[in-house]
Amino acid sequence: MKEIVMKRRNFLKGILATSFTLASAASVLTPLSALAKVGAKNRDDWLTTGSHFGAFKVKRKNGVIDQVKPFDLDKYPTDMINGVKGLVYNPSRIRYPMVRLDFLLKGHKSDTSQRGDFRFVRVTWDQALTLFKQSLDEVQTNYGPSGLHAGQTGWRATGQLHSSTSHMQRAVAMHGNFVKKIGDYSTGAGQTILPYVLGSTEVYAQGTSWPLILDNAKTIILWANDPYKNLQVGWNAETHESYEYLAQLKEKVKQGQIRVISIDPVASKTQDYLGCEKIYVNPQTDVALMLAIAYELYTNNLHDQKFIDGYSLGFDRFVPYLTGESDGIAKTPEWAEKITSVPTGIIKDLAKTMVAGRTQMLMGWCIQRQQHGEQPYWMAAVLATMVGQIGLPGGGISYGHHYSSIGVPSSGAAAPGAFPRNLDEGQKPIFDSTDFKGASSTIPVARWIDAILEPGKVIDANGAKVTYPDIKMMIFSGNNPWNHHQDRNRMKEAFHKLECVVSIDINWTATCRFSDIVLPACTTMERNDIDIYGSYANRGLLAMQKMVEPLFDSLSDYEIFTRFARILGKEKEYTRGMTELDWLKKLYSECKTANDGKFVMPEFEQFWQDGYVHFGEGKPWTRHADFREDPEINPLGTPSGLIEIFSRKIERYQYDDCKGHPTWMEKSERSHGGPGSDKHPIWMQSCHPDKRLHSQMCESKEYRQTYTVQEREPVYLNPEDAKKRGIKAGDVVRVFNGRGQLLAGAVISKNYPKGVIRIHEGAWYGPVGDDGSITGGAKVGALCSYGDPNTLTQDIGSSKLAQACSAYTCLVDYEKFTGKLPKVTSFQGPLEIGA
Amino acid sequence: MNQINKAIQETVQENQARAIVYNFLSSLLAKEVTGDLVTQLTSEQGQSFLNSLALEPSLSVSVNEINAKLGTLNCKESILELAADFCGLFLVDGRTSVSPYAGQYLSAELEEEPNNEQNNKLGSKSKKNKTQLFGDYHQQMTEFLTNNKLQIHSDFPEPGDHISVILSYIAHLCVSVESKDQLKFINCYLMPWVSDFAEEVNKYDHGLFYKAVASLMLEWLNIDTEYLINY
Repeated sequence: MKEIVMKRRNFLKGILATSFTLASAASVLTPLSALAKVGAKNRDDWLTTGSHFGAFKVKRKNGVIDQVKPFDLDKYPTDMINGVKGLVYNPSRIRYPMVRLDFLLKGHKSDTSQRGDFRFVRVTWDQALTLFKQSLDEVQTNYGPSGLHAGQTGWRATGQLHSSTSHMQRAVAMHGNFVKKIGDYSTGAGQTILPYVLGSTEVYAQGTSWPLILDNAKTIILWANDPYKNLQVGWNAETHESYEYLAQLKEKVKQGQIRVISIDPVASKTQDYLGCEKIYVNPQTDVALMLAIAYELYTNNLHDQKFIDGYSLGFDRFVPYLTGESDGIAKTPEWAEKITSVPTGIIKDLAKTMVAGRTQMLMGWCIQRQQHGEQPYWMAAVLATMVGQIGLPGGGISYGHHYSSIGVPSSGAAAPGAFPRNLDEGQKPIFDSTDFKGASSTIPVARWIDAILEPGKVIDANGAKVTYPDIKMMIFSGNNPWNHHQDRNRMKEAFHKLECVVSIDINWTATCRFSDIVLPACTTMERNDIDIYGSYANRGLLAMQKMVEPLFDSLSDYEIFTRFARILGKEKEYTRGMTELDWLKKLYSECKTANDGKFVMPEFEQFWQDGYVHFGEGKPWTRHADFREDPEINPLGTPSGLIEIFSRKIERYQYDDCKGHPTWMEKSERSHGGPGSDKHPIWMQSCHPDKRLHSQMCESKEYRQTYTVQEREPVYLNPEDAKKRGIKAGDVVRVFNGRGQLLAGAVISKNYPKGVIRIHEGAWYGPVGDDGSITGGAKVGALCSYGDPNTLTQDIGSSKLAQACSAYTCLVDYEKFTGKLPKVTSFQGPLEIGA
Repeated sequence: MNQINKAIQETVQENQARAIVYNFLSSLLAKEVTGDLVTQLTSEQGQSFLNSLALEPSLSVSVNEINAKLGTLNCKESILELAADFCGLFLVDGRTSVSPYAGQYLSAELEEEPNNEQNNKLGSKSKKNKTQLFGDYHQQMTEFLTNNKLQIHSDFPEPGDHISVILSYIAHLCVSVESKDQLKFINCYLMPWVSDFAEEVNKYDHGLFYKAVASLMLEWLNIDTEYLINY
């Protein structure tokens, strides 16, 4: 033993004798700084913040988030806040700025063929932002503004100062001009058609207050609408006040005071909660059902002709279509039954019910996210007009009561402003060319992949011609199009054509993996901000207090783009010479001034200490009541100022897929006997998730494990269909069509009728090769290991009018997966080829 | 008296030497190899250090492999390729990465791999990516550091349970506490997971460099803990 010790001693002496020390690699440790012991981050009291999932309070332990509990005012918190810690401390955090190695070596001439499956290297912020600028220089120099698309934006994180979209677009605009989007994925068809019909997008408008609906409605029709699921999240910090009204509605349903009829192909979460009546309708056939109700109202003279005459335009142009005079097909209940599977008797009863008393129609957004998605929204407005209760409390039609607490009375307070998204007046970009080389500078939101694949192509869109720009570079910030866009395999082909992709996010999404420059933003917990409490309720103002310092090398959006602006030589222009705190004080004090004399707001310091200022309750309000009162003084925003049952403007466009009045049109794919159902008989519904906000929160592992099946996203299956395929609950299922394939975990439920499955959108994309290898993941046709439904959806425009996404026009089939089960690859950083 | 002093001085020197090795390992796992580091390690003094390490038979293979790789790092591209190896292994989370955080191993429950031939070849169990970062072991290490009037350098914004922090902390312990306390710490906070870590580096490293670094660390820990036991 002694010998060993002696030998070791000599060996150690030999090391010491070399006098070697690593100059540049000093220890990762350093003497404790006196400053580290004090300061905000070591406070251990409960701090307040907000999120799309609601407001909550956080307690920390040694600078780490320890406990999360709902905000005191939130009486119906969503359990999604249990996933918040998993977002912040996710192993998939983007820890440092990173660049795809081949891009670093070869720049815009890099090999993009395996984008999504490449090696990355860490770089400093300066290197990353300089590369970012150089790429912009190259694109602006070689192609001009039409080569850059920085307008594909998404749901960001909440906060009026750090909103990712504003920072990215303002900073990039200081460099040069770029292609932008119009519309959004959620309501693309609806927000385009409704201004023609009702004069506003309606989908984002405050609606009739719930108390008035509950007091006045005899019948509520939930058409493809699942508010109980969707109201968990909001655009700003969600108050969840709508749930109090849903609870009251449940009681009224139970007491027989209000009839709630839900028209939906599936039994929704809201149906289960309310215990309401259900009418099953074949997927994508709602317009046929609406037409038959209209036919029944018209032919039995149940419609309100006086209201139609006084408040609408073009009913006379619509009636010949309804009766079949113009096309030879009377839109009778019998005709509709064949298409919709809704029995004639039920259609007739529904028509009678709708005019038997006050009827409030509450439309969901799902049915406009399909081919011809403009039609159900238009036709629903026509039905509401025929019923004649638009503008009455508890009557008429709403397109938003499932969204961000629309219908909760607004406090009436002025909301705070936000960090500017655009350049200040007089500011000019470094590259100020506005020459888009004949291409359009704004394109419909869901058509960017088309543009990349077919630059120069001219399409119709909302009465204009759009020429696709030749996009060479894209920038995404707080936005994950590898969730929300359709048809992954088509996206892969398009991404091979891009020279440079930049992503700014908190965790490694598929969008980041398909990028060249990836920049780490910190979460809302790691920065100071303010937010409105309740997007439409505007119940108060919420301090979003920094809980912990930005993790790893991440930075706030403000800091990222301040540094970027510094590289452009425009830091002062960008920040207006103000710090984060200066901006918060400015936004607060401007809000205070706007509310002066109406709402009491303390000084900023007091507000920040309290964490919240309350604006009080609002007064009930009825949508379109002013229009009803006097349509001449308070006209709608339509060309005629009236409800346009027939639109001359749209007729003049001469579109074959969106005519002058609402029309039933067959879809390119439709289940239950429709086109394509002989090959792929199942309709896939990819609605907004119950346990996420789109794709936000999917990566939060502990929370995800509360709903996954064999680590996969659930696919909800009809019992008979599943049995026919030999599938049991808990099995892994391969869902496929001609566009792609995915794996998901079987949940079998009677809530899903024959021929229908559901996979919630927002399930992160994680492709693998057919053999389960990760190397095959970059290939077109790869299998999604987790269950992203947009692997299967169709990337077509809704029509020549809106050109909106059509995710709901999608047929698939499925089988029990019997191959070697691959590991889920969705929740991780870039993969390495050949691994 | 002189002999006692000499013995004390020798012990101090041995511990200084051990601290140098721990810091050396810490720095190789903390950040990418830079051109500067290559220059230092290929300098006369650096080579002398590596050669003296290689005198220990169980370390010689790994040291020689490291040395051989250093000899090839003579251009920007080769250094970047090695940086990409480092990034893919330690800076991202994924199926082919290796978590450098103790908590990911010590807090993790065993996770069954799916029934896949390819995975079976790699081993049927994996302990990776199970828990959130900045967990209990981060807290524990932060407490140790604070108690020792230390903190993580601001240039190294990593959780306290990062392997480089632990190795660097051991280097500190080498010159500040008794052997039995050094051994106790190593056995509690490094030994239970370091072989899993090294095994995964061996499995996923494309190049030879980090395989050699991980082997060197493992072998060094074997002889050093043996030394501490027998001291």
